[in-house]
Amino acid sequence: MKLLEYEAKNLLSQSRVATPRSSTLHQNDSPQLSLPVVLKSQVPTGGRGKAGGIRIVEDQKNLQQAIDDLFALSIKGFRPHTLLAEEKLAIAHEYYLSLTIDRVAAEIRLIAHTDGGVEVEENLEDSYLNIEVSKDNIEAVGQQLADYYNLPGQTFVLQDLVENIYKCFTTNDATLLEINPLVFTVDEKFVAGDCKMELDDSAAFRHDWKFENQATEANFVTLNPNGTVATIANGAGLAMATVDAVADSGMTPANFLDIGGGSNTETLVAAFRRIVTYPNIQAIVINVFAGISRCDDVARAIVAAKDQIDTLPPLFIRLVGTNFEAAVDILSEEGIPILATLEDCLAAAKQKVTS
Amino acid sequence: MKPTLFSAKNIIVQGITGSHGRFQTKAMLTTGTNVVAGTTPGKGGQVVEGVPVYDSIADIQKEHPVDTTVVFVPAPFAKLAILEAITAHIPLIVCITEGVPIHDMLEIRKRLKNSDSVLIGPNSPGVIIPGVNKLGIIPANMSLPGRTALVSRSGTLTYETMAGLSARGIGQRYVIGIGGDRIRGTDFIDCLELFEHDPDVDTIVLIGEIGGTDEQLAADYIASSVKKPVFAYVAGHHAPVGVQLGHAGAILGTTDESADAKTDALKRAGAHTATSITQLIQLISKWASGNVKND
Repeated sequence: MKLLEYEAKNLLSQSRVATPRSSTLHQNDSPQLSLPVVLKSQVPTGGRGKAGGIRIVEDQKNLQQAIDDLFALSIKGFRPHTLLAEEKLAIAHEYYLSLTIDRVAAEIRLIAHTDGGVEVEENLEDSYLNIEVSKDNIEAVGQQLADYYNLPGQTFVLQDLVENIYKCFTTNDATLLEINPLVFTVDEKFVAGDCKMELDDSAAFRHDWKFENQATEANFVTLNPNGTVATIANGAGLAMATVDAVADSGMTPANFLDIGGGSNTETLVAAFRRIVTYPNIQAIVINVFAGISRCDDVARAIVAAKDQIDTLPPLFIRLVGTNFEAAVDILSEEGIPILATLEDCLAAAKQKVTS
Repeated sequence: MKPTLFSAKNIIVQGITGSHGRFQTKAMLTTGTNVVAGTTPGKGGQVVEGVPVYDSIADIQKEHPVDTTVVFVPAPFAKLAILEAITAHIPLIVCITEGVPIHDMLEIRKRLKNSDSVLIGPNSPGVIIPGVNKLGIIPANMSLPGRTALVSRSGTLTYETMAGLSARGIGQRYVIGIGGDRIRGTDFIDCLELFEHDPDVDTIVLIGEIGGTDEQLAADYIASSVKKPVFAYVAGHHAPVGVQLGHAGAILGTTDESADAKTDALKRAGAHTATSITQLIQLISKWASGNVKND
C-alpha cells in the first residue's frame, strides 16, 4: 500500500524523525495559516512538483486561489482529497536517504546520496552509499552515513536518525521509506522534506491502518477495453498465462482477473458486471485449476452468478482439479459444458468471435 | 539440496486441524504419503484423518523422528511455525501458507542461514515426487513418474504444466512450486542445481513470471552451470508492468522485469522458450519424441 506524503510524515514523526511544522486541508476548509506556506497536493504518484502540484504562498491574498487551484489540478489522473500545508524550510543542503528491501539477499538496505531532490536519479550509480542495515549495526551505519555525507560533527544526530527511520520501517511493516530531500537546514537540523512510504499489505492484520488509498483490488486489470475476449482464472500465474494464450491464438484479451483460492459467487458476479461493460466482448474464457480451491465450489458460483446477469456473452469453461466430477454434474445440469483443455476453450471461443 | 531430501518418509503437517490442513492431509494420505503426525497448539491429543495431533513439534519428536513438515498455519502465525521447525532441525519445511508478511520472511531467512533446514515457499503449492511423496496441495492424480524436473513460481501454472506433460506421457521426477512471494526460502537456482546433478533427471522445465529478477539470475546460472536441456515459459507477456514508487528501485538497479526481457535472457542462456503453456508443452513433447529416437 502506497501512503500519501502527510501519512508517511505522520509515521516518521511518531518515530521521532523531524518533519516540517504542518497542517492538512480539505476542500471547503477555511484555514488559518502562517505565511509563507508551502501547499502540496496529496496524490499517490510521483512527478508532482513538475506538474504544478506544489505552490509556495507568500501573500494572504493569493492563498485561497492557490488552494482552489490545487484541489482542481489533476496529476496523472489523480485529484487530491487533501492538501498538506507546511512551513517553508531554510535549506542549507538537500540529501537523499532511503530504506528498502533487497528481495534477493532478503535484507534491509540503506541507500544515501549527498545530492538529493528531484534529480536524484541523475547521480552516478556508484556514487551512492548502499549498505545493509539491521538492528545489530545501526550505530556503525550512522557513523558510515556521517562519513559519507562528510558531516563528522553530526555523527550522533545521524546515528539517531538511522535508528529512528529503521524503527519506523520495521514497526510499520514498510517495504519502502524514502526521504527525498532530507533537508539540512541553515540552523543545522535534519528535516524530512518529502517522504514516500509503501507498506506490506500482507501485514495489515497486525496494524490498525486507516489511510486514504487503501489497498485496491489489483486482481482485476483492464488490458484493452475494446478487447473481444474476457478472461477469468485462479492464481496470478495461470491468469497471466490465460491472457497470453488468448493473445497467442489471435484474439484480443480485454482483461486479467485472478479470482484466487476463494472463488465465491460475489467475486464472479462482480467480475461479470465489469466484463459486460466492455463494448466488444464476445466470449468469456474461464480457466480454473483447483488445488486449494475446489471445482464444485467454482461451478456453483458460476451457475449462481450467471443467473444474476442477463446479457452475458457465451462462457468457455475449463475446470480441472479437486472435486472435478462434482463440478461436471453441477454445470451439466444447467446445460453448461466444461471443455477439456484451454486450447479447446480458445478454439471454441474463436468460432464465436469476429474481429 | 539432495534428491533424498524430498523422498523421506516421516512427514508431519503443522496446522493440521484447520480446514485446509485437514482436507489436504487426507489428500496426501490418499496418495500414499506417510503423514505420521500433525501439530496445532492446544489441540494435542486429537486425531485428524487417523493422524495423531500434538501441541508442538518437540512433543512429536519425543516419539517419532521428523524429516519433513508441511505448513498450513494461517499467515499471522506462520513465522512462529516455521521458526519452530527450524529450531527442531527439520531438514525440509514446505510452507503452503499465503500472505506471510515480508518482515517475517526477513527474520526467517536470517534464521535459515547456518540452519539444518531447507524452506520451500511460503505461498507455495508444495512439491510432488510422483509415485513417492506429495508434500502440499499439487493434485497428485495429474502427475506421472518420469525424468522431467519442473520448477515454477506459480501454483496453478505448476499444475497446468504438469498435467499437460502427463497427458502426453511425459513423466516427472520433481514438481516443485517455489512460491509466488518475492522473498522465499528456495529459489530457481537451488532447484536447477538439484536437477542438473540428479542422474534421474534428463529434462528441466522452468516457469517464471513478470516482476523481480529471479528469471535473470536463473538464466545466468543456466548459461554457466546447466548442461541438461531447459524449457522455459515466463507468464505475463501481455500484463501491464507495475508503477514504481520513489527512486530506490531505480537506484538499486534498472533490470527490466517484463516477461519479454526475462524470456530473452533465458533464450540467450540456451533455454528453449515459449510464449504460452500450450507452446511450451508442444516444445517439450517434440524434444522428448526426438530424444527417444536418438537413444
